[in-house]
Amino acid sequence: MSLTLHGIGVSRGIAIGKVHIVKHEPVEISEYCLPKQHLDEEILRFEKAHNLAREQLQEIQERLPKESTVDIAGFIDAHLLMLDDSLLSKIPRDLIYKHQCNAEWALQMQCESIVERFEKIDDPYFKARQDDVKQVVTRIQRILRGYPDPSFDLAVTDLAQSIVLADDLSPADTILMRHHGILAFATEYGGTTSHTAILARSLGIPAIVGLHRASPYIQPDELIIVDGTRGVILAEPDECNLHYYKIRQYNDKCSRAALNKIKKSPTITRDGIPITLDINIEFPEDMVAVQRVGGEGIGLYRTEFLFMNRVAPPNEEEHFEAYRKVIQALKGHTVTIRTVDLGSDKQVTDSRYHDGVATNPALGLRAVRLCLKDHKLFKPQLRAILRASAIGKVRMMIPMVCDLQEITQIKHMIQEMRTELRHKSLEFDPAMPIGIMVEVPAMAICIDFLMPEIDFLSIGTNDLIQYTLAIDRNDEAVSYLYNPLHPAVLRLIKMSIDGANKAGKPISMCGEMASDSRYIRLLLGLGLRSFSVNPESYLEIKKIIINSNLRGLTHIANQILQTASQDNINSLLDTINVRIDI
Amino acid sequence: MLTQTLLIINKLGLHARAASKLVKLASSFESHIQVKRKHQEVNAKSIMGVMLLAASKGTEIELIIEGVDEINAMEGLCDLIQNGFGESE
Repeated sequence: MSLTLHGIGVSRGIAIGKVHIVKHEPVEISEYCLPKQHLDEEILRFEKAHNLAREQLQEIQERLPKESTVDIAGFIDAHLLMLDDSLLSKIPRDLIYKHQCNAEWALQMQCESIVERFEKIDDPYFKARQDDVKQVVTRIQRILRGYPDPSFDLAVTDLAQSIVLADDLSPADTILMRHHGILAFATEYGGTTSHTAILARSLGIPAIVGLHRASPYIQPDELIIVDGTRGVILAEPDECNLHYYKIRQYNDKCSRAALNKIKKSPTITRDGIPITLDINIEFPEDMVAVQRVGGEGIGLYRTEFLFMNRVAPPNEEEHFEAYRKVIQALKGHTVTIRTVDLGSDKQVTDSRYHDGVATNPALGLRAVRLCLKDHKLFKPQLRAILRASAIGKVRMMIPMVCDLQEITQIKHMIQEMRTELRHKSLEFDPAMPIGIMVEVPAMAICIDFLMPEIDFLSIGTNDLIQYTLAIDRNDEAVSYLYNPLHPAVLRLIKMSIDGANKAGKPISMCGEMASDSRYIRLLLGLGLRSFSVNPESYLEIKKIIINSNLRGLTHIANQILQTASQDNINSLLDTINVRIDI
Repeated sequence: MLTQTLLIINKLGLHARAASKLVKLASSFESHIQVKRKHQEVNAKSIMGVMLLAASKGTEIELIIEGVDEINAMEGLCDLIQNGFGESE
């Protein structure tokens, strides 16, 4: 009897293979009293474990890849110093003598006393260093108890032809792992933007996260099926399941091979109109996935990752480095860098913004509003983008603009920065295009006022829909009302496209709607000639575009714009999508 | 015995990387080296001790060094701290 476990599919595809289980399970510690004559032996046992922990850390350090965005080398370095700190190397030995107890207990007592001291610190960064202390102590404890160490295990195991099932994979784990030949990832924790998800997408292998409490049902080396498209794991599959999934795997392989054939074809419609097809990325590492699908320009480079999991905002150099990496990988194509959009569903882990949590963050102090209020957060990014414009084709895009005054303010800041950069003889492109995201309906409605102020536009559909229909995307009670095909949404999109065309300035769409195969022909019909999509949808969207005939699409799209009933809109959408003559 | 009061000037203060540099340099000397912040005094050769000072940018600390190479130690450590631990900002 096969067993189905549900999670969130974060990277598509099917994998069938044996499981390699990675567990960061807690080590249970008990206290034992030891007779005096055994104490020297216990000290020796502690020293041996301590030395082994050092060897593990040194081995991990040697295996670290040279280029890495996470400061993992610094992190391992600090762990090595902690290990040899007399607080962890000498005092536990004294405690073994003093209390005549086992090494684990002595170490545990010492760990608790150190952690207690860290707990008293107010500064959140220094307070959080107790986690490092705990990690180092756990490493020694595992060795003492004879448990395998998950990160060390990952670093040395050959994972080829296995499905990696973990409670969670830390950034360190994903960096240390030998990626070659891994079939799929499955984790109990994590969301769509977790490290596991990003790594899986860049490797082009299936992944499922959020499989809560899955591991008790799965044995090491068991054969399982991972369906990353639907977010399902099948344990103990029967012949029937295996047969079905092998066919699906085969079909996937065929359609991928078919899609791969158009990798190098130009994105031109059947009636010869060239369409711009760019890609959205979230991390510099996503460039691997971009190259795998034959992508060229980046239509949206999100920069929130730079601000995540840290206390102080990133400095100018960190920004610049993240942009330089992408520009180098682009080989002359354009990258559109979006200034940071923090404050809504992406909260910065900075204590300054935790005071007085906004009840309606989507309408609150976020994105450009936060940037204009907090120059310390914004200026390093602006300067880094300006400097990046000297080394490649860069466009700067501002999210959540609702008032032309905001554009004026940013232009003023940029003007000042240009003067500063000139004084320091630092290079930048004085003609770097500056554009905004059309997300707030106000901007689509006032498109004629907006166009003279900016160089380009990109429609962000997720927020545009949310604000037009007053629907909180994350509120399950109303999410059924979230509808990209609402006539008001379609009209705002049309107004934006027409307004940009009239002004002779480029307009693109980088929201989820542009990555959804159902809407591409409609959007082409509405006059959109530029899309920016997720790497995993890129080839599928490209195929739809090169099989479309614009002349036929415009007519039906206009009909949809004139339709009030949702049922009629849906049937017209079916028509536009299935007709092969257009 | 030598003592010297210094200001932490680098942006992130005595964070993991800076603390590592301080501890490594301190450990290369034979002298006994203490770091003091207000009433808290820790061994400069203990990374956990240094981190427990929670010295962010702008914190005033005092170095207390005693031993055969105390002059060299003071010179080296002052250089490191006054150069902001070699960080760009």
